[in-house]
Amino acid sequence: MAEATWRNYLENKHNRPAPLKGIKVLEACTIILGPAGPSFLAKLGAEVIKCEIPPLGDTSRNLIPFGDYFRDQGTGFVHANQNKYWMGLDLHKPEGQEIFRQLAAQADIVEENMRPGVLEKRFNVGYPQLKEINPGIIYLSKNGFGQWGRYAEENRPSNDGASQAFAGFAWLSSQPGQRPLKSRLYICDNFGALLGEVAVLAALRHRQRTGKGQYIELSQTESIIRMMSWVWPYQDITGETAMPAGNRDLCVSPADTFRCRDDRFVAIGAALPDDFAGLCRAMGRPELARDPRFRNHLDRLRDDRTLELLDIISKWVREKTPEEVEQLAVEYGFAATRVRSVQDIVEDPHCRERGFMAYVDDPMLGPFYEYEFPVMMSKTPPKVRWSVRAIGFDNEYVLTHKLGKNKAQIQSLYDCGALGKWADMISRRPPADWDGASGVILARDAALPAGKGE
Amino acid sequence: MGTSSMAAWYRGQDDPQKAHTRLEALDDITVLDLSYNSYAGSFCTSLLAEFGAEVIKIEPPGGDFLRTCTPYGILHKGEGLNYLTEGRNKFHVTLNLEKEEARKMLADMAAQADVLLETFHPGTMDAWGIGYEQLKAVNPRLIFASITPFGQFGPKSNIRMTDYDNIIQARSGIHYATGEVLPEGKTLDDMPWAVPTKSGPWIGAAPAGAFMASGIMAALYWRDISGEGQALDCATSEAYASFDDWAYQWYQETGNVAERFGNLDIAGWLYCFAPTRDGAVFLGALRLEQWQAFADMVGKWDAWGAAQWKEMAPFMAKAEQEKWAGLVFAETQKYTNQELVAMSVDYSKNGRLAPIAPVIAPIGTPMDTLKDANWNDRGLFTPVDDPVYGPVVLAQAQYKMTETPPRTKWVCRPVGYDNGFVYLKYLSYGPRKLRELEESGIV
Repeated sequence: MAEATWRNYLENKHNRPAPLKGIKVLEACTIILGPAGPSFLAKLGAEVIKCEIPPLGDTSRNLIPFGDYFRDQGTGFVHANQNKYWMGLDLHKPEGQEIFRQLAAQADIVEENMRPGVLEKRFNVGYPQLKEINPGIIYLSKNGFGQWGRYAEENRPSNDGASQAFAGFAWLSSQPGQRPLKSRLYICDNFGALLGEVAVLAALRHRQRTGKGQYIELSQTESIIRMMSWVWPYQDITGETAMPAGNRDLCVSPADTFRCRDDRFVAIGAALPDDFAGLCRAMGRPELARDPRFRNHLDRLRDDRTLELLDIISKWVREKTPEEVEQLAVEYGFAATRVRSVQDIVEDPHCRERGFMAYVDDPMLGPFYEYEFPVMMSKTPPKVRWSVRAIGFDNEYVLTHKLGKNKAQIQSLYDCGALGKWADMISRRPPADWDGASGVILARDAALPAGKGE
Repeated sequence: MGTSSMAAWYRGQDDPQKAHTRLEALDDITVLDLSYNSYAGSFCTSLLAEFGAEVIKIEPPGGDFLRTCTPYGILHKGEGLNYLTEGRNKFHVTLNLEKEEARKMLADMAAQADVLLETFHPGTMDAWGIGYEQLKAVNPRLIFASITPFGQFGPKSNIRMTDYDNIIQARSGIHYATGEVLPEGKTLDDMPWAVPTKSGPWIGAAPAGAFMASGIMAALYWRDISGEGQALDCATSEAYASFDDWAYQWYQETGNVAERFGNLDIAGWLYCFAPTRDGAVFLGALRLEQWQAFADMVGKWDAWGAAQWKEMAPFMAKAEQEKWAGLVFAETQKYTNQELVAMSVDYSKNGRLAPIAPVIAPIGTPMDTLKDANWNDRGLFTPVDDPVYGPVVLAQAQYKMTETPPRTKWVCRPVGYDNGFVYLKYLSYGPRKLRELEESGIV
């Protein structure tokens, strides 16, 4: 049955509508927390216009692992910016603010992630101003600390890593007795961005029912605090600080990562009664599953008992390879996986057949695999279609098609500096081998020299 | 308006203390949550329930195993701490889907519901006669959401493996490259902590829940336009993997596989945890001017030649990062966490490059977070006074909204607590019928 629902899903994606078709989003965002949210909506079919301040644009264009660019683009810039239209708009200029207001008048959703007060006071396009011209607007402000409260009012800047630090998330994500560890993900940015869209989609539904827009304030630190579920009642009830436990899951027993014979690693989880019994059989210790100390999950979770159990498992795993443990997991019925690298994900045929590793044939960057929005929708599939562009790449398209500006009006916006394009530097400009036309929506765009407005 | 009057204006609009006086975005939506032993599923429907959806959590008569997944086995008034917090705003009923009559009851409820969420192995719901195609025939508007380890289709979708958070993290390619570096010449016997290290409490599972909540609301939006429901499919490890911003592109472009890099960042400079006199802080300065501001702030503007720096790229190479990290840490170790934070706040007002300043944040414990007046003032930890569980502190109010703010009205309920109300409301089953169902093991 499920087979009938999902047969040829990938092949049929292009002949199905996207769920947010017709929704317009205006983005004044930078780094990851800001841009990742509109990117989720863009994969769900919304039309996202991203405004960057020319000529340098989004700071995450600087994210280059050990100095390696991705086709002359910021390698860490690509992911949070799919399917967008690219404006180079200087919001410091009154003319730039006026263009932003005109686009906002047409928009359903505006997203920004500057520090508190910047959009309102410096750029004159804050929520209080935009709701006057578009009362149905849904306006999402994202940053480290929200719009009010001590940290917001001290005007503290934030980053993903600051949130990992501030929330106690890094503290919990470490090995016992060792220093707190930073995730290799920008986890608070991405998770915060995603929770922001949960709120936006709820607001969109409210607007459909009532016609009313609203303002949403999102702090990336509050977002990660929200998902640290048990930690808060635990500390409140016991009066004790939640302590790091390395790879062991304090709420699931047994669940940990173990060193194998070849010094590679395998993760094992076996808490459900059948899983636990399966693991005990696989280890040749079926009696453990009946042992009164271990039989019941709540009893087994006791610190000393879990440690005793993990010791038994780690000695057993130490003689095996990750692949042997994976095989035994399937055979005996428990959960295990070798600790997979990013290579394992990118090349996994399963991920490709599902279209999670989605093939993108980008006119400017060429072909590559991109992560798809990870919810497959049988009638309205999300779709990654194109990738990042240089700053101001779609200025002419947006101003002509969305705002009906003519050539002279557009030129005067360039002349006063409200409109601009990319700096002539790697990660800001198109790839060196760009033919001057590929990816351009309006043909005459190609006639403008690179670096115009710099 | 000045910044603080702006702050006061926003607070006047969206302070969570006023949330209960506002409307709820999803209060016309009924969700059947069949998730089992799934934080992803429970978190997903919590997000919907915070917006007012009527979420009916359906458990087998013995209760959801997730109730027992609690740190060290600790219970609060008989309840596990994760279920306590993610049971919020839901109705908790029992139904034994192994029995045919129970499956008929489920189908009758699905006929009246908007969303059904399930986490069984693919094919299980079909075999029970309550899969998407079968329920669609009864209710074409139903949104049928499945969260599983491998998804509903693809070569691995038939693997029947339980979905634990630590497995999701290991499968996603993230766990692999987080953790301390094992220095050359050292072995794991010398430094057993220098291994791939998973993150946080259940961060592997939570993204699938949040993505699915987004997918469900996008599907609701589409349904309002088209009248059609649909099936949704999320694989937990894909959801977590998709938070990777650079490693997959780096690999495709150069063949480099992201490995552990301790508390530095392969893709970003200055972006690290740095030791201090009394602990450690996060340092962030991804823009050239912020990195210059950091150098200036620690008195190294001239010594480091910061005025001559032209772009960030030269600092990104591995050897450069390691070299500069040494220099930076030598400076941060001269100060306490609070001194460094105060220095950056001051620099943003009075520094040579003000208002540009580096981002500096102390690395705190979760107890520091819980006691931090800032978060308490913002309503994050306001206790929920629950009629069954008493006052419970949990995280809430994660976004502030002017019209339809999320809110936590109650925490969870014991197993089967809401059977009477829910089965009366949806199936008109009164106490007599309910007793029969209990006796025959159906509820």
